Amino acid sequence: MTITRRLLFLLFFLFVILPAHAQEWRPPTTLKKMPNGLIVVISEDHSAPTVGLCISYGIGSRLEPVGRTGFAHLFEHMMFEGTPIAPKGIFNRVVESGGGFVNGNTDNDFTQYYESAPVSALDAMLWLEADRMKTLDFSPKNLDNQRNVVEEEVRANVLNQPYGLFYIFDLPQKAFDKYPNAHNGYGDFKDLDAANIDDVHRFYDQYYAPNNAVLAIVGDFATDEIFAKVEKYFSSVPSKPTPPRADVSESPQTAERRVTQEDNLTKVPALAVGYRMPARTTRDAVAGAVAGELLHNGQASRFYQSLIKEKQVALSINGGLNLNGAGPFEYNGPVLMISFIVYPADKTQDQVLAAYDAAIADLARKGPSAAELDRIRSKMRADWYSNLELPVSRAQALSHATLFDGTYERAYSVPEVVSKVTADEIRSFAAKYLVKTNRTIIKRVPKPAHKSAASGGDQ
Amino acid sequence: MKILCLSFALLFAASTYAQREQPLPKDLPPFGPEKPLRAPEVRKTKLENGLTVWLVPRPGFPKVSFTLAIVGGYAADSQDRPGFSQLLTATIDQGTKKRTARQIAEDMQGAGGDVNAFAVRDAIRISTSVLSSKTAEGLAVLADLAEEAAFPDNEVTLAKRNLTDQLEQEETDPSFQANRAIAKMLFGNGPYGAFSPTRDSLAAATPAELRSEFARRFRPDQAALLVVGDFGPDQMLFLIRGKFAAWRSPSSPAVAPASAPSVSAPRAIFIVPRPESVQTTLAFGASGPHRGDSDFEATEVANAIYGGMFGSRLVNNIREDKGYTYSPSAFLQSFRSAGVMRTQADVRNAVTGASFNEILYEMNRMVTTSPSDNELQQAKRNLVGIEAISLQSNDEVAGELADLWTRGLPSEEIGNYGRKVAAITADEVNAAAKKYFPAARFSLVAVGEERVIREALAPFGLPMVPVP
Repeated sequence: MTITRRLLFLLFFLFVILPAHAQEWRPPTTLKKMPNGLIVVISEDHSAPTVGLCISYGIGSRLEPVGRTGFAHLFEHMMFEGTPIAPKGIFNRVVESGGGFVNGNTDNDFTQYYESAPVSALDAMLWLEADRMKTLDFSPKNLDNQRNVVEEEVRANVLNQPYGLFYIFDLPQKAFDKYPNAHNGYGDFKDLDAANIDDVHRFYDQYYAPNNAVLAIVGDFATDEIFAKVEKYFSSVPSKPTPPRADVSESPQTAERRVTQEDNLTKVPALAVGYRMPARTTRDAVAGAVAGELLHNGQASRFYQSLIKEKQVALSINGGLNLNGAGPFEYNGPVLMISFIVYPADKTQDQVLAAYDAAIADLARKGPSAAELDRIRSKMRADWYSNLELPVSRAQALSHATLFDGTYERAYSVPEVVSKVTADEIRSFAAKYLVKTNRTIIKRVPKPAHKSAASGGDQ
Repeated sequence: MKILCLSFALLFAASTYAQREQPLPKDLPPFGPEKPLRAPEVRKTKLENGLTVWLVPRPGFPKVSFTLAIVGGYAADSQDRPGFSQLLTATIDQGTKKRTARQIAEDMQGAGGDVNAFAVRDAIRISTSVLSSKTAEGLAVLADLAEEAAFPDNEVTLAKRNLTDQLEQEETDPSFQANRAIAKMLFGNGPYGAFSPTRDSLAAATPAELRSEFARRFRPDQAALLVVGDFGPDQMLFLIRGKFAAWRSPSSPAVAPASAPSVSAPRAIFIVPRPESVQTTLAFGASGPHRGDSDFEATEVANAIYGGMFGSRLVNNIREDKGYTYSPSAFLQSFRSAGVMRTQADVRNAVTGASFNEILYEMNRMVTTSPSDNELQQAKRNLVGIEAISLQSNDEVAGELADLWTRGLPSEEIGNYGRKVAAITADEVNAAAKKYFPAARFSLVAVGEERVIREALAPFGLPMVPVP
């Protein structure tokens, strides 16, 4: 390349880059609250002939009844089991023959139902969501069927898997003390088996109400037309009294907790570490979100560079704030910063933890460098945008934010909020929260008999 | 926690209760007018060095997705180095002549992206998605990897060790075992028979081999750069020329596309013992059409009716009716010169035999019964819609373009798939079902407690053997 071309290149480069920094990306979005309490958030997006829709209800595993672990999730399955006028199978049949898919999931702090489809299916999907917000089929036979399906789900994802998601399901049980935060949200089989149709009725009456829900719709349509349709289908759904929110706060942890588990199915040991985090609405929590990403996000992260590359005491490390939920900005109760570390069998837990603690001590002493902070801000901005790219995932983000805050603002302000966190805030967050007395460690080791059978060779 | 209720819904789809179908609620509003998928407008260029460049400007969402696709993936690995491409993609971002591994990771993070390098059967892809404002930075790293990856000795040593441990981990996963066994059953030691390394192939691989294999495969005349997102095409092309124009192809022959392999598996149940399993993973595989074959779309429709949709016959039967399983799946795998029909289900030990029986029954029922009009319409509409909702994001569009290019198909194929599916008739579905769905065509793999499997599957009278 000649000098002239280099210069041209440079000039051009400045020209192109500068305007892009100027403003936050913020797609057009409108919010309305209906007389029955349902909040509706709509964002037009004409980049594809599609729509994404999400209804989040303000009930998750955290607040499910004592003696009914796993019930919020089992109930989520019952939402797909039909109503008196749209019996089992209709919902899926309509959405799928409309070219889309429907799904749901149960978080600690919300349960969400969502559809992604060509926009031609939107009317029918709105009607179906309104229908199941009015009543359900409450069929004992379908409850039995879904109890089996859920138990197969738990087998497939937990009991038949190496590690059994212990860093998701077991760690909070050890790290917290109060039932809402410290029980298994996937459910013990004895509790799932004990659930009956009265429980289904009661849970539905308490929590599945328009005044406990946010409907968000993103896609290729005109906003006013969709508000009119939502009013048409949902305005007749009556609001219901919902129970006062229980106090789920924990008293402070005062000593490190350590547990060892044996794993029948794995051959490679692992560790999970969980630190209790400050409340979501505090400034410390934002510093915690950034610290979590500095430590865990990708190959440039501190843990990756230190544990995997420099000291070579780990094979993989994943983590972050609210890893067992919807990520570092979407939760509504006590959460953990979790690290899940798989390490070679010829290393010890102490070696892994020594490297881990050294990485944390460095952050707590010096904080991030200016360049490091700049990089992670870019990465978090890019990751957050990606979270808003697909219509269905933008609908999810809008509905979660609005459910917790009454406004969707946070769905768009995260990059800006993150850009304001200082190096010193991150340093002092690490010094205050990433301490041994505030953490729980589970060591998961291969069951000894199994370890020797490990070298079974390749087929 | 995040709990998927109906996982992999994209792989499924809907014909709920085709055989005893409920009428739709009378007040349910009808579907609105169809809005067809608009094929992206692709600006196509070939640089003087042979590099194919496809640009799809999509203003608005402030990111840009890059995918660099290279001819030659697992199918191009040599017989004595199965899965070599995994080591190649694990180390390609671990150092170049200009940057250390750490600098690569940090530079890409600063642009808002990650390096995502992986192999498929017919190609290697390196992709990243960066902020529009950091396009040049992201592209610089990508070009550096493609042209100057160095495979430093110490990084290769570490990657070999970690991939060996990773293999140890993967082998405890029943799905991995099932996938590996099916590939082996169907393709043996042929080009499509492996998608993962062995301990031996990892142990034997050297940095010198990586460097020479990199030089053989990474050449501009065998590569395409697909760019989708928020950028000006002229400026982007200028940037790309600046980073890639000096890249040169060697005079040695390029990687040849994999030839269509012969597929023949003995009729038996192949057992992968997995002590302490509480479920049996049942996996079925047979040869099928691949994209480009005249009956590919008809077979996709048949598969949707059989088990591809959530409301399909198989899901209704073994999940919604009997509760044997959480997420049964049926799908077509399509390589450049071969296709595979797959069915898989994790079922609790006690219903291993019953589930096996129902799966065979539903396969054969596809051969013996025609789809109802409703089943056919639902399956077709579902597949057309799924094409649209699978191509919403920049990454998805870039990935699809990379896939089309790898197969030698034009970018205009986007949208054609939906048009072909919409035209499929019941006769074509029946013909595809008779050709591809007879249960006797399928290789059978069961992963789980060996004793449970042997007892439960004995009544089917097939030999039960270990995976060779």
